[in-house]
Amino acid sequence: MSKVAESTANKLDRVFNPRSVAVVGDKRAIGYMWLRSLIPFKGKVYSVQIDPNELPGIEELGVENYLNLMDIPGPVDYVIASVPRAVAPRIVEDCIQKNVGGVCFFSSGFAETGTEEGIRLQQVITDQARDAGLNLIGPNCVGLYNPEIGLRHTEAQAYGEAGPVGFIAQSGTQATLFSLVGQHHGIKISKSVSYGNAVVLDSSDFLEYLGSDEKTGIIGMYIEGVKDGRRFLDCLKNVASRKPVLIWKGGETEAGARATASHTGALAESGVVWQTVTKQCGAIRVECLDEMIDVIEALLYAKPGTGNRVGLVAMSGGQSVAVTDTFAKAGLDIPLLTEASYKRLASFFDIIGGSYRNPLDISSTFFMAANGVSNLNSMLDILDKDPNIDCIALELFPAVRPLNNDPETKDPVLEAVSDFNKRTGKPFVVIVTEAYSDALASETREKLVGRGIASFPGFERAARALKKLVEYYQFHPEQSLVEAG
Amino acid sequence: MPSKIITNALKEKRTVLTEIESKQLMSEAGMPVIESGLAKTKAQAIAMSKKLGFPVVLKIVSPDIIHKSDSGGVKLGLSNSAQVGRAYSEIMAAAKQAAPGAKIHGVSVQKMASPGVEVIMGMSKDAQFGPVLMFGLGGVFVEVLKDVAFRIVPLVRRDASQMIREIKGYPLLEGYRGQEPANITVLEDLLLKLSDFIDKTPEIKELDLNPILAYSDGAVAVDARVILESQA
Repeated sequence: MSKVAESTANKLDRVFNPRSVAVVGDKRAIGYMWLRSLIPFKGKVYSVQIDPNELPGIEELGVENYLNLMDIPGPVDYVIASVPRAVAPRIVEDCIQKNVGGVCFFSSGFAETGTEEGIRLQQVITDQARDAGLNLIGPNCVGLYNPEIGLRHTEAQAYGEAGPVGFIAQSGTQATLFSLVGQHHGIKISKSVSYGNAVVLDSSDFLEYLGSDEKTGIIGMYIEGVKDGRRFLDCLKNVASRKPVLIWKGGETEAGARATASHTGALAESGVVWQTVTKQCGAIRVECLDEMIDVIEALLYAKPGTGNRVGLVAMSGGQSVAVTDTFAKAGLDIPLLTEASYKRLASFFDIIGGSYRNPLDISSTFFMAANGVSNLNSMLDILDKDPNIDCIALELFPAVRPLNNDPETKDPVLEAVSDFNKRTGKPFVVIVTEAYSDALASETREKLVGRGIASFPGFERAARALKKLVEYYQFHPEQSLVEAG
Repeated sequence: MPSKIITNALKEKRTVLTEIESKQLMSEAGMPVIESGLAKTKAQAIAMSKKLGFPVVLKIVSPDIIHKSDSGGVKLGLSNSAQVGRAYSEIMAAAKQAAPGAKIHGVSVQKMASPGVEVIMGMSKDAQFGPVLMFGLGGVFVEVLKDVAFRIVPLVRRDASQMIREIKGYPLLEGYRGQEPANITVLEDLLLKLSDFIDKTPEIKELDLNPILAYSDGAVAVDARVILESQA
């Protein structure tokens, strides 16, 4: 184990929670993106830039500039280096001399280019950092995001309010997209990191750190490859036993052509092995950003549950059929209700233009009924009390009056669904499809998730997220819910 | 200390163990393996068959022939001395034709196992994660349908239990249409034993136990193939 690995978690505390940040090499050509991203930063911000043409722009932002990292008077906890690759070894040397908490290299052009010079330079900075025990993040990445203290990597990212979700991404774009898309799905981040070529600090280091970070309750990961598989496996097993870890493995379909002489060898290609690792450690495997977002939203907002049997409520006959097919295909069961439930439903359900076997087609009983909201309440409560049902999924039309009325007036449907979400003990998800109006549908969903209701833009996404939630709690029946931030 | 079987093979600069060696190694590891022996002559094959009891199976034993049945090197269901003698000659002739110059140790004589559900257990090494154990139903299920499950070594009981239940063909192990069900606990025990052995034996690169016949009261491996890491 390298010098870095031994005490990584402690050492990373300083760099993840810096009180001073220095940006080396920010410039007009990239819109001073680093210094701008740091405008809300709660600590000291310094710039290091030797090009006199860049100085006025830096001054305009009100940031003190120095010609050398060493000239900065106080301690520097985190350095963002956006410099030409050839300069990287000098910056690493300065970081070591300055005893900084850590450095992120936004600079690219290293081993990922496959060029001799890139590979050589990467080896140089790797050796320098390893020998000195320097926390080097990257190169070829965007580094850290800690919204609580306003440490960001793009101006578009939210700040001020932290949440319980940690994110670890090999790709900078995935880290950025996760934070931006997540904002619309009720996902608030505790800390996130993009770590690029992972020459010194690798996914296991960050997983270990966020695993022991009290503010992080759920961890999402985007991984293209790991340096030390066994260490990753042990680390994942350990962290996943304490909090949900989701893994999106990039490059899963890459053919692993290897010469083997056994059946086992021919079948155990890399994609399958990654799926095995995820499963064996009790982590959650996701296949794209949407699924990452959806499953985290479900874990954050839906109650835990280990049963597969879903009670479905849809707004029309056609949608009832569609939602049933989709949930069944996702591996969920749609059972009959108990006789007691049917008896209760029969007392008020309008079967002209509706039906209630399971799914419940509630068009006439809710949509078209004068006392629709109270009927909706009754129907949801019947499902909640039915012992044949483990989870509940409700489709809402975005245009259902008065869900999207004037925000000042209380919305009875939103209130009813929100109250039900609070009193049910079963996983509950709401689907607002984009079939009618994208804008209206996403506005409705944001409103729902704003009230703590897991809501999804389509049957497939809801079914997949619910299935993953159930599988997760089946593997970890002891794990309690992480509260939404 | 690795088994003598391994050290001997490596001394001879061989990485492919013969079937007899593979079976002995698995037997040393505590895996149930069908009783069999090596016969170097026709007379030995007949004598051995009588000792084991008919019906028997004869298979070519050669470090140079991996796909035994493809090259006419396997004869099943031999029920008397005359059939064993004829099978011996045919196997030798076929081997000489299919692989001229191959080094031939003789034939393995094994008792014909009673029918059961065919399963496969195996191991290969992943560059990132090390030894990976595989479980599946044997024959067409593994070869065509690839209905198999994996776990990274070392396994715990939960892993063994889950991987057996994960395959699509699991109902066949529970006894499909009156067939004798397989004893799942026995299979779990074998996976754990195999995991333990692999964990302690880094010299092994790849391994197949195919098939293992699973019964309601046990299981037995009727073929084994072990490949060693080449020594630098």
